[in-house]
Amino acid sequence: MSTDSTKTRHSLGVPMKRKEDPRFLQGQGHYVDDISLPGMLSMAIVRSPYPHATITTIDIAAALTVPGVKAVITGKDLEAAGLGWLPTFHGFDKQMVLAIGKVLFQYQEVAAVFADTRAAAVDGAEAVRVEYEPLPVVPDPFTAKKDEVILRPDREAKTNHIFHWEVGDRDATMRALEQSATRVSRRIWFQRCHPAPLEPCGCVALFDAMGRLQFHVTSQAPHVYRTALSIVTGIPEDKIHVISPDLGGGFGNKVPVYPGYVCAVVGALKLGRPVKWIETRTENLTSTGFARDYHMDVELGATADGTLTGLRVSTVADHGAFDAAADPTKYPAGMFGIVTGSYAFPVAHAEVDAYFTNKAPGGIAYRCSFRVTEASYAIERAMDILADELGIDPVELRRRNFVKKEQFPYASALGFTYDSGDYHQTLQKALDTIGYTDLLKEQAEKRLRGELMGIGFSTFTEVVGAGPSRHFDILGIKMFDSAEIRIHPTGAGVVRTGTKSQGQGHETTWAQIVAEELGLDPQNIMVEEGDTDTAPYGLGTYASRSTPVAGAAIAVAARRVRDKARKIAAHLLEVGEADVEWTDYKFQVRGVPSRSVTMKEVAFAAYTNPGQNEPGLEATNYYDPPNMTFPSGAYVAVVDIDRETGEVRVRRFLAVDDCGTVINPLVVEGQIHGGLTEGFAIAFMQEIQYDAEGNNQNTNFTDYLLPTSLETPHWETAKTVTPSPHHPLGAKGVGESPNVGSPAAFVNAVVDALSPLGVRHIDMPITREKVWRAIRDAETRPAATVSAR
Amino acid sequence: MKLQYSGQERIAASPDVVWAFVSGPEKVLTCVPELIEGTVRDPSHFEAVVRVAVGPVRGRFTFKFQMQPDPAARRMQMRISGGGFGSAVDMTAVSDVVAASDDATLLNWSGEAVMRGPVAAVGGRVLEAQANKLITQTFANIRERLSQEMT
Repeated sequence: MSTDSTKTRHSLGVPMKRKEDPRFLQGQGHYVDDISLPGMLSMAIVRSPYPHATITTIDIAAALTVPGVKAVITGKDLEAAGLGWLPTFHGFDKQMVLAIGKVLFQYQEVAAVFADTRAAAVDGAEAVRVEYEPLPVVPDPFTAKKDEVILRPDREAKTNHIFHWEVGDRDATMRALEQSATRVSRRIWFQRCHPAPLEPCGCVALFDAMGRLQFHVTSQAPHVYRTALSIVTGIPEDKIHVISPDLGGGFGNKVPVYPGYVCAVVGALKLGRPVKWIETRTENLTSTGFARDYHMDVELGATADGTLTGLRVSTVADHGAFDAAADPTKYPAGMFGIVTGSYAFPVAHAEVDAYFTNKAPGGIAYRCSFRVTEASYAIERAMDILADELGIDPVELRRRNFVKKEQFPYASALGFTYDSGDYHQTLQKALDTIGYTDLLKEQAEKRLRGELMGIGFSTFTEVVGAGPSRHFDILGIKMFDSAEIRIHPTGAGVVRTGTKSQGQGHETTWAQIVAEELGLDPQNIMVEEGDTDTAPYGLGTYASRSTPVAGAAIAVAARRVRDKARKIAAHLLEVGEADVEWTDYKFQVRGVPSRSVTMKEVAFAAYTNPGQNEPGLEATNYYDPPNMTFPSGAYVAVVDIDRETGEVRVRRFLAVDDCGTVINPLVVEGQIHGGLTEGFAIAFMQEIQYDAEGNNQNTNFTDYLLPTSLETPHWETAKTVTPSPHHPLGAKGVGESPNVGSPAAFVNAVVDALSPLGVRHIDMPITREKVWRAIRDAETRPAATVSAR
Repeated sequence: MKLQYSGQERIAASPDVVWAFVSGPEKVLTCVPELIEGTVRDPSHFEAVVRVAVGPVRGRFTFKFQMQPDPAARRMQMRISGGGFGSAVDMTAVSDVVAASDDATLLNWSGEAVMRGPVAAVGGRVLEAQANKLITQTFANIRERLSQEMT
C-alpha cells in the first residue's frame, strides 16, 4: 500500500457516474459494424450443416456468377498459402481456418465469399455447392472416450483424449475419504452454454497505402491478436495495427482469434480492398467460444460432526472439435484447483480429462476466470448435498469448515495461496441482511401446508487476476499488464493500458485510480485502450484480470509520476526532495502546511519550469502480480415453486461480495447486477444442446434465451472489504464473481424447496418442465416425510 | 434431427400400373410438392428444386434422388439428399407395391429423414409436422396422378 497519507479518499471509492455512458446512451458508441470505407467488400462464410463429414467436392463456379461476388476462398486455397491452420490460444492445438478434407462440427467454416454488398456475399455463399459424405458423429465426451471414431487424425496421438491434468494428493485423499464417517458423491454437470454478447464478433481488414494491415476487430485482447496474426500470416508485427473500438459485451467470447478474421485479412490482401465481416447471431452461437460443459464427479468426506476430511473431483470435459480453450499454457484445466472453495480441506485431489467431440470448440468463456465457475458450482452444490446427508444446516456446515481469517494467507490443499478473506463475516452479513432466522420459520410453516419454498446459499471463493508471469502465459506471452500515464501541462492527462473494456467502465475506474494517486480531477483523465499503436502491450481483459493487474499497473505508474512530480515540487518549494511530503493530495513542505503546491501546479512546471529535472510528467509500468487475488462472497437465493406448473419464482436474491478495495461502488454494483442476471440465465434458461445427429439446437434467441427485465429478479447487494495485501490498492476484481457464485445458490434453493419430495439434485438449466417432472415423479413415489430443516 | 414416417395409399389401379409409375423418375418428379424445377438425369437419378418454408427457414432446396428398384419384389428404394439455406437433408424411402383384394393396389411407404443445420434447429418445433405433410403429399400426389391416368 501507499506509504503516503490518504485519510480521506479523493476519488477511490467514490460512486462516480460512468464517464463513457453519455455516448452509449445517445447512440454514439463506435463499433466495428459502424465502420464504412470506400470500396469496402462484405464477407460471408459458407458453413457445414454436418457435424462430421468428408468434403467430397466444393464447387464455387455458380457463386462466382452471382452479381457482385468478387472471390471465393476455400481451405485448399489457404492451405496452399500456408494459412490452413491457426494456433489456438492454449498453444497445444491448432484449428482449421477453413475446413480441409473434412468438417468436425456443425457450422464449421468451409468457404469465404467476398462481394460488393452483404446481400451479394450471402447469395454467393448460398450458391457454393459443397458435397459431403457423412461420418459417424461423436456427440459427447463419453462416446469420444471409447476412441471408436478418431476425430483428429491430423494429430500425432490417434485418440480423442486431449489431456489429463491433476493436482493434489490422490493417495492421501483416497485414504481420508475411506476413513471418513460420512461420504457423499454426485455427478454434477455444468451444461454447455454461451456468453452471447449482444454485439456478435466481426472485423474490418484493409491494407493501407503503406502496405500496413489496419485491422478493426471485436477483441478483448488486441495486442495478443496482433502477435497471433503476425504468427499466422507472417506479416511483421510492425505492419499490423489492431484497433478494438467499442465492444458490445464480450464475456470471454471475444478472446479467441476466429477463422473469419483470418479469411477477412486474406480477402483484403487478395482483392486489394477493405473487407468487412460481421457474424450473424446464429454464427456467433454456433461457432464461437462456448462455456463450461464439465461433467464433474464430486466426492466429499466428513466426520460425524461435519468437519471436512477430503475432496475428490474427477471431471470429463467436452472441448469440442479443437482444443481452443484459451487457458494458460501450464493450466489446461484453468484454475479448476479452486474447487476447494472457501473450505479448509486437509487433503484434496482434482483431475480433468478433456476430449474432442463434434461440437464447436471453446470452453472457458462466459464471465469466468478459467474454469472457476465450474469449480465453484461443484463445491457449493456438494456442500449442500453433504449437509443433507449429515442432517446439518448448510449454513452451519459451511461455517464449521470455512478457512478462518487468521489463517490467511492460506495455502489450499490444491496449491493456491489465498491472499485474504473473512468468510465468517461475509456470511454473517448475508444472514443478518436476508433475515435467515425468519426465513427458516416461514419455510417450516409453509412446508406444513405443503408449499414449496427454498433457501439456497453459495459461499464461494474465486481466483482471478492472472497472473504471476512465472505461472501464467498465453501463447508463451507472460500474463502481465501495463499502463502508461502522461500528465499534460494543465493537469489533465491520459492513461493507456493493455486491457480493453467491453462495458466494464474502464474509462471511469482507471481515471479514478490516476486521480486518487495524483490528486487530479478524474473527469480530466482520458482513458485509451484497444489501439495497439498507442497502448502499451498487455494481455487484455478477461478472467477478471483488469483491476487486479492493469489496475495495479496504473496505480504503480501513477506513483512513479508522483515520484517525478515530487522532485519538481521540491524545486518549486525550494527545499530538498526529502523535505516534501504528499499530504491531502498535494505536496507540502514537511511540517509547514502553508507551503504547498498542487499536482496541477507541478504539472504546469514540468513543462514550463522543471528546474534541473527532466521535463515532462509521464510514467509507464508493466505489472507482474506477485499472486492472484481471491474475491469471495456469500449469496442467498429464496425461491417459491408452484406445485402445479413447476414455475420457480426467485423471491429474493442477496449478494454480499468481498472484492477488496472498491474503486467505484456504482460500477461494482453494475457488474454484480449484470453477472447475477447472467448467472440466473445459466441456472434457469441457457443450454447449448446438440441432438444425437450433432445438430445444434440453440442457434438463435428464440431457442437460447436471454432474460429480459420481466424475468430478472430484483437483486439485493451488500459488501464486506478485506483488501488484498499484495495489490497496490487492495482491490481484487469483481466482474465475474456474481456469475461464479450465483448458479449454485439458485440450484441449492430449488433443491431445498423440493427436498421434502425427496429431490436431491437437478441439473441446470432448471426449466419449468424439469421441476414439474421432478414434482410429478415424487408424487408417484411413496409419500415423503415433510420436515422443516 | 431424425424423423421417421410411414403411410399407405390405396390406389384404384393394378400393381403393374402402379409399379410402372413409381419406377419412372419423370413421373415421380411431378409428384414432388412445391416443385420449382426438376431434371431427370437418367432412369435412376433425378433432381428437384423445391420451395421450402419451415418456420422462419424459407428458400429453395435442391434434392438429388437416387432410385434403387427391385422389380421382383416390386419394392422401390430411394435415397434423397440435398438441402439449402445452410441446411442438409438426407432421406431414405421405401415403397412397396402390394396387390389389394379388390383389384386395387396398396402403396405402403416408409422412411427416415435426417435433418441438419438451421432447418433442424430453427424449424425444430414445426419441422416434424411440416415434413410429414410434404412426404404424405408426395404419395398422395402419386395416387392422384394415377387416378387421373386411369380415368
